[in-house]
Amino acid sequence: MNRLWSASRLTYLALTLSALLSIFPIYWMFVVASRTSDAMGQVPPPLTPGGNLGANIARLFDNTDAYFLTGLINSTIVAVTVTVSVVFFSTLAGFAFAKLRFRGRNALLLAIIATMMVPTQLGVIPLYLLMTKLNWNDRLPAVIVPALVTGFGVFMMRQYAGQAVSTELIEAARMDGCNTARIYWNVVLPALRPAAAVLGLLTFMTTWNDFLWPYAVLNDPENPTVQLSLRALSDGYYQDMSQVFTGTAIATLPLLLVFVVFGRQIIGGIMEGAVKA
Amino acid sequence: MAVQLDARPPVAPAPRHSRPVRGARLSRFDTKYSPYLYIAPFFLLFGVFGAYPLAYTFWVSLHDWDLLGAEHPFIGFDNYSQLLADPDFWHSVVNTLGIFVISTVPQLLAALWLANLLNRQLRARTTWRMAVLVPNVTSTAAVAIVFAVLFGRDFGMINWMLDHVGVSAIDWKANRFAAWVAISTMVDWRWTGYNALIFLAAMQAIPRDLYESASIDGAGRARQFWSITVPLLKPTIVFAVIISTIGGLQLFTEPRMFNSGTNAIRGGPLRESQTVTMYMFENAFAPHYNFGYGSAIAWLLFALIAIVAAINVLLLRRLGGGSRKEVSR
Amino acid sequence: MLTFTRRRLAAVALVAATALLGTTACGGGDEAASDGPITLTVDTFGQLGYADLYQEYMASHPDVKIVERGTGSNLDEYSPKLTQWLAAGKGAGDIVAIEEGLLVEYKANPQNFVNLLDHGAGELKGNFLDWKWNQGLTADGKQLIGLGTDVGGMAMCYRKDLFAKAGLPTDREAVSKLWPTWQDYIRVGEQFTAKKTGAAFLDAATNTFNTILLQNAGNTTGYSYYDTGNNLVVGSNPAVKQAYDTTMDIIDSGLSGKYGSWSEEWVSAFKQSKFATIACPAWMTGVIEGNAGPAAKGKWDIAQIPGNGGNWGGSFLAVPKQSKHQAEAIELAKFLTSAKGQIGAFKLKGPLPSSPQALADPAILDSKNAYFSEAPVGRIFAEGAKSLKPVYMGPKNQAVRTEVENAVRTVELGKRSPQQGWTDAVANAEKAAAK
Repeated sequence: MNRLWSASRLTYLALTLSALLSIFPIYWMFVVASRTSDAMGQVPPPLTPGGNLGANIARLFDNTDAYFLTGLINSTIVAVTVTVSVVFFSTLAGFAFAKLRFRGRNALLLAIIATMMVPTQLGVIPLYLLMTKLNWNDRLPAVIVPALVTGFGVFMMRQYAGQAVSTELIEAARMDGCNTARIYWNVVLPALRPAAAVLGLLTFMTTWNDFLWPYAVLNDPENPTVQLSLRALSDGYYQDMSQVFTGTAIATLPLLLVFVVFGRQIIGGIMEGAVKA
Repeated sequence: MAVQLDARPPVAPAPRHSRPVRGARLSRFDTKYSPYLYIAPFFLLFGVFGAYPLAYTFWVSLHDWDLLGAEHPFIGFDNYSQLLADPDFWHSVVNTLGIFVISTVPQLLAALWLANLLNRQLRARTTWRMAVLVPNVTSTAAVAIVFAVLFGRDFGMINWMLDHVGVSAIDWKANRFAAWVAISTMVDWRWTGYNALIFLAAMQAIPRDLYESASIDGAGRARQFWSITVPLLKPTIVFAVIISTIGGLQLFTEPRMFNSGTNAIRGGPLRESQTVTMYMFENAFAPHYNFGYGSAIAWLLFALIAIVAAINVLLLRRLGGGSRKEVSR
Repeated sequence: MLTFTRRRLAAVALVAATALLGTTACGGGDEAASDGPITLTVDTFGQLGYADLYQEYMASHPDVKIVERGTGSNLDEYSPKLTQWLAAGKGAGDIVAIEEGLLVEYKANPQNFVNLLDHGAGELKGNFLDWKWNQGLTADGKQLIGLGTDVGGMAMCYRKDLFAKAGLPTDREAVSKLWPTWQDYIRVGEQFTAKKTGAAFLDAATNTFNTILLQNAGNTTGYSYYDTGNNLVVGSNPAVKQAYDTTMDIIDSGLSGKYGSWSEEWVSAFKQSKFATIACPAWMTGVIEGNAGPAAKGKWDIAQIPGNGGNWGGSFLAVPKQSKHQAEAIELAKFLTSAKGQIGAFKLKGPLPSSPQALADPAILDSKNAYFSEAPVGRIFAEGAKSLKPVYMGPKNQAVRTEVENAVRTVELGKRSPQQGWTDAVANAEKAAAK
């Protein structure tokens, strides 16, 4: 029946090699981050961690030119706000599309799917002009507000709500006199929790990583996102590579932590999304 | 937002009359209009910050629009005709397509292979899956910096290893093809595991008895893979290809951070690894601030994405169609 | 699994919202004028060396707080931001540093800046080298955009240890005597290379090209890529072609380590001692110290530049019209560019004063740089500074310079022949200038 092929030694060997390739650049990032800057360019390249990580971190946060701490705080604010918003609006709209009847539903859903195909990154120029008008240049709303909704999120929640939310339960709630908002809050949201969590994690990671748009619109060196302070570190008049690598390691760390804790859910979410799409 | 919703449901309008029919009327209002209220935020925000900018890009592209200039005279399609005759633009198109092809093809093949490995009875299943997915959850800019160092000409680890097998140092940044390979490596490193998991999910949905009957017919494992697994994975592969087309043709962070120093946005002295998005950025922002020209580049890139996506779908349909017949035979 | 209870979700939203409101304040000139101390923001790139001066100024002006942004940033990154702030009418600091190669570009829109002549700057003329003062004026001479900070008098920095390894003299006087001209420099380079020390003779041909070009231009035409009528003359100015040809000789002799300047390979090459000399405007000493790190202290020294004189770089301080504290900003700019201010900056990070009084001051003349083997940097740089011959820079100087340097780089990397490189340089420069 549903029996899988068994895994041979060769399978494990191949998987081990793949895993090593996956992990090595991340590992090496931490190696360089834990050494002095003389490690750069040494032959043979150092492959084991040194004892300098604490000192490098201290120097990085003391480096008044990179505003790394501000970058971390800003990125956290941006990513958390965007994540909460995307999850909220996506579950709301996803619920509407999956479970409520209204005129134009299919056409509107199609429109949302179409937006997933649109490379919105190409709108940076007018977006930049718009932000200038709104007086949001150099300020966090410029990177938060355009990211508050995604077509992907709505679509994902709609797919999930279709099967995870029971229609009977909705109808029963209606009989009890719940209005739609109550139903969303008391019935739909709890049922969508697993998928919403995955959407939230994916959104957090995407937002944390965003580069092009912040690069265009956040020009105040004192108010960067963490990716921008990385760029400032690596493009400076002179560079201290152990500091740069410490920065890259710290910028990666929150994502890795999220991944270690919620890895199973993220994998589940990606795989489920794939089957439904 | 959530706070407000908790306090007062957004669908309930402020009560004006206190007549006994209020409840029923409200409820009718609620069922009829609240769905629009729920989807409105998406359309509103997407309209203002997604659709409008894209459309306005087209408008800007019809003007001689210098960020610093006070006037923006209308010049029709001049930017486009200039762009079509601009060798640097076509150079960046070739770079983008080159990087796209040499990243996507091996990436999808590797992902298929990896998915096939993962689709077995494995001990510590989740650990393996996490191990291949971990590149996907790293910071793009951070990893690009790391790879830029790994691919260094004189001090990079990759050249050091190549030296051990007798290959002389490759100038990864100054050699156009080498730069493509290096950037593709970065892209593949990030996305292969992700695609593998998507393929894995699709593979698990394939009924086992298909394989059983095939093996009764004497088909070997490799043959089963190519004539059952791959054709049935076609919709998923199409999905993956379209996603990588949209992402791959807009590639920016990896090549931008791969280059450091004075030519970063140009992708090297001869624009060896400048993608279209980088070229757009170079023209729209520093050093030229020509928003009109930059917008024209954005629209042509948009067109390019649509064309490549369409070609991909057609190609895959061809390919898949051929093998599917084989299966039903 | 994540459990988003209602309360937790609400709390997260609330925290995010308050945090958002709390951190959106902009750095530059945005604070409303109030009774409390005002904040002056200074936008810079590289190292202008003002940290100590700020402390001193704030001590004597308790109502002023000074914040510097962009310290250590690359000019390629800094100048676009400044352009965007000026175009947007907001975001720029109360004082902005402008590099001389970009000054003409900003002078094209003088309405963006306060006319310092209206604020009593006219009497400061004698505090600056004449040409430095004149560069800060608009073409009609009616508006003063910026007050000069430093000039880029040049020298040649070299590694004593590598010179010793190659059997060359290491004493700075003797080294200076090795290369009165660039042809001599090439000859020394060939001797050095023949000894196979594992290091190249110089870092990158582009840096050397820039040096030679600015020398040539200063000594002959007085302009480089643009003539004083703002016509692009890349292809016809003999100063450019001659600098290009000399650079080709350097490349031909295999002297360059081919490290792209400002790239991370370049930085690593400093660390790993991979080249022996680098053309060294005064401000470069700070860059070398930062890149090569403490391990190389005492291994570097400074000799005279081959050829004759030359000026590379140097900046101005300007006050944008958008500043809300113009009067205070002008005061601070005057302080920072005074002879005293320039001496203070030199001591901290090495930019060479543009004030004749400062250049004649014993504090400069007697100063030595510990990192560079106690080289008498004050004397080395200041002696040449008074006779520096300025080079006029045209409207798109930076963009054109990028194209020409790129052409040099393609030849250096063996991608183009010298002839092809020259054709590219002229053609691409014209294209960039027209954009």
